[in-house]
Amino acid sequence: MGKGVPAANKIKTDLHEILDIRHLTDSTFVLRIEKKDLEFEAGQHVCVGPPNGIHTREYSIYSAEQDEYIEILVKEVENGLVSPSLKKLQKGGYVVVEEPVGYFTINKDLPQTQKYVFIASGTGVSPFHSFVLSGKAENYTLLHGVKYASEAYESEAYDKDKYVLCTSQEDKGTFNGRVTDYLKANHFGADAHYYLCGNCNMIHDVYDILEEQGVSTDNIHAEVYF
Amino acid sequence: MKKRIGFKTLGCRLNQFETDALASKFVGLGYEVVENSKDTDVFIVNTCTVTNQSDQKSRYVVNNALNHGHTGMLVITGCMANNHKEQLEKRYPNAYVVDNQQKSTIPQLVEAHYNKEILPSNQNVGGVFDYAPAAETFHTRSMIKIQDGCDNYCTFCIIPKVRGRAVSRPVEDILENIRQVVGFGYKEVVITGVNISRYNYNGIGFSALLKQIVDIKLDFRVRISSIEPDSFDEEFFELLKHPKITPHLHLCLQSASESVLLQMRRMYTYKLYKRIVERLREIDPRFNITTDIIVGFPGETEADFQKSLDAVEELSFGHVHTFKYSKREDTRAARMSNVVPEQDKTLRSEELRQAANDSKINYRQQFIGEQLHVLVDTVKDGYSKGYGEYYVPVKINQSLERNRLYTVKITGIEAQGEEHNLIGVVQN
Ligand SMILES: Cc1cc2nc3c(=O)[nH]c(=O)nc-3n(C[C@H](O)[C@H](O)[C@H](O)COP(=O)(O)OP(=O)(O)OC[C@H]3O[C@@H](n4cnc5c(N)ncnc54)[C@H](O)[C@@H]3O)c2cc1C
Repeated sequence: MGKGVPAANKIKTDLHEILDIRHLTDSTFVLRIEKKDLEFEAGQHVCVGPPNGIHTREYSIYSAEQDEYIEILVKEVENGLVSPSLKKLQKGGYVVVEEPVGYFTINKDLPQTQKYVFIASGTGVSPFHSFVLSGKAENYTLLHGVKYASEAYESEAYDKDKYVLCTSQEDKGTFNGRVTDYLKANHFGADAHYYLCGNCNMIHDVYDILEEQGVSTDNIHAEVYF
Repeated sequence: MKKRIGFKTLGCRLNQFETDALASKFVGLGYEVVENSKDTDVFIVNTCTVTNQSDQKSRYVVNNALNHGHTGMLVITGCMANNHKEQLEKRYPNAYVVDNQQKSTIPQLVEAHYNKEILPSNQNVGGVFDYAPAAETFHTRSMIKIQDGCDNYCTFCIIPKVRGRAVSRPVEDILENIRQVVGFGYKEVVITGVNISRYNYNGIGFSALLKQIVDIKLDFRVRISSIEPDSFDEEFFELLKHPKITPHLHLCLQSASESVLLQMRRMYTYKLYKRIVERLREIDPRFNITTDIIVGFPGETEADFQKSLDAVEELSFGHVHTFKYSKREDTRAARMSNVVPEQDKTLRSEELRQAANDSKINYRQQFIGEQLHVLVDTVKDGYSKGYGEYYVPVKINQSLERNRLYTVKITGIEAQGEEHNLIGVVQN
């Protein structure tokens, strides 16, 4: 017994250097860190924390599988513990990173022509950024729900006609209103695969809307942030 | 004189499996193995940490042994040992605190202790699957560990932190383990792990593994223990029709409220869960579905709770394990704000327990007048007890042979405290 048996399955953690920080809004930034030997599948997340503490939080990987670095898109949460301290870190500093994990990934058995609808709220757009940049999905529409158009976080990465910015607090997006309102008015069909990512309330409402539109739960995949 | 070694196991099937495997190893080494600390040279507590109550229970067992004069070697292992190693070492300076990764090396540790070459436990090389198959010890069913760890990250659960990342055991090891235990005379194997539906070894998933298990040309039955309802495929439903596979699943629900399930980051919806149950009952209308339900999760409203209560009736569970939500530090749920007051949790849990009890009795009553194949595991005071294929306890007022399968006609149901045993008479 025991041939080829892994000795232990402890979670691996390591310190990774911060290579760059891009501030996209007052509260949201992209942290680019060393990749080291971390391999991941687009859609997975890593737990990241400041180097001197014991706390980490989950962050979806924002960069592409083939990139030589790892990026995460972080929104500073007011009175939060980890996100404000990540915001204070500087280029050349370090973060603690646990190995990537998660099942919010694209099913490899689906054809290249598979139709996808990606629905995000806020920084929930992060795994979709990774899907698109990793070449995981070509036939997609990305519905991005934010309050203000300034939260469109590097949307130039997506084809213009595939990205729908839904702004709920101002009339500057593709659509003025919530993603859920957009989805109610625009059906994408029961054969599409729907990926939902972000806050729980949005995901809950989208499930209901899709059910009414006759979409099977087998075609709905969700990643809840909070 | 033979050294006496006592075990106490708390928590999940996986812990039971690991205790059984350790106990067999000790039997092989010439120890006498018992299930308590009384008059033992070594007492091993295999702890659990899934809820605060399990932490308390685990501590109680250790304290109780010490208060009752246990002066021999004390080993604390299991998930609490992973989670609170330093605290435990401080509080019990004479105990060996052995984490899950090192658990399989406890026999070496004990031997080393008696050879006066005490090794610090963290220097032993072990491995999460490094157990010999469990031979005749406490159970008539043999637990087969196929997987360890979990990557689901449910917001209430500390297990990924203490059991670590999901890792699957090689297919050939599992098949070999089953051949061995069936060779020892076991009639039933129980497939265990932390999250077995995510089994994946070199591309072989859970259903493919199960197919290879039932194809073993030996006579035994297979019980699939606790499973998450998040990755069932068609092949799995087909396999459940196989005569070797018993019609019982412990299918963790946790809540029937869609919004609570999302807050828990469970990977399924209640609608999907219900569809799975319907499919299982299409395979066999009496398919036994047992479950875990958490009450009082942060943000659970009366309406959310009512949904869980309704589900108990709607899905005719054979058994429900009700947990009052307890906060585990370092989990996402611990940072959630809408905490349900303790007295509401208690009321909800009482109400759910009552509904679950009614459901259990209803479920069991349908077997009256039917025949079950009972594997006898207890024989004492002129009666025998065991479990039928649906995993319902059956009592027979006759001394039978342990570890033998009997065809039993069910004649009634008998309440014994919270438990409701079926009563039957042997047909063969
Ligand atoms: C799988 C997964 C992937 C995630 N990916 C990302 C990501 O790519 N980018 C990202 O910014 N966050 C992501 N999160 C959320 C992230 O893990 C942290 O919860 C967040 O950064 C807040 O942590 P904190 O320690 O600062 O706040 P905490 O002290 O943990 O929490 C403070 C409060 O803020 C709430 N909260 C958490 N996240 C948000 C948010 N984004 N907006 C508003 N309120 C929030 C929580 O409910 C909590 O009550 C992800 C979460 C999960 C489970």
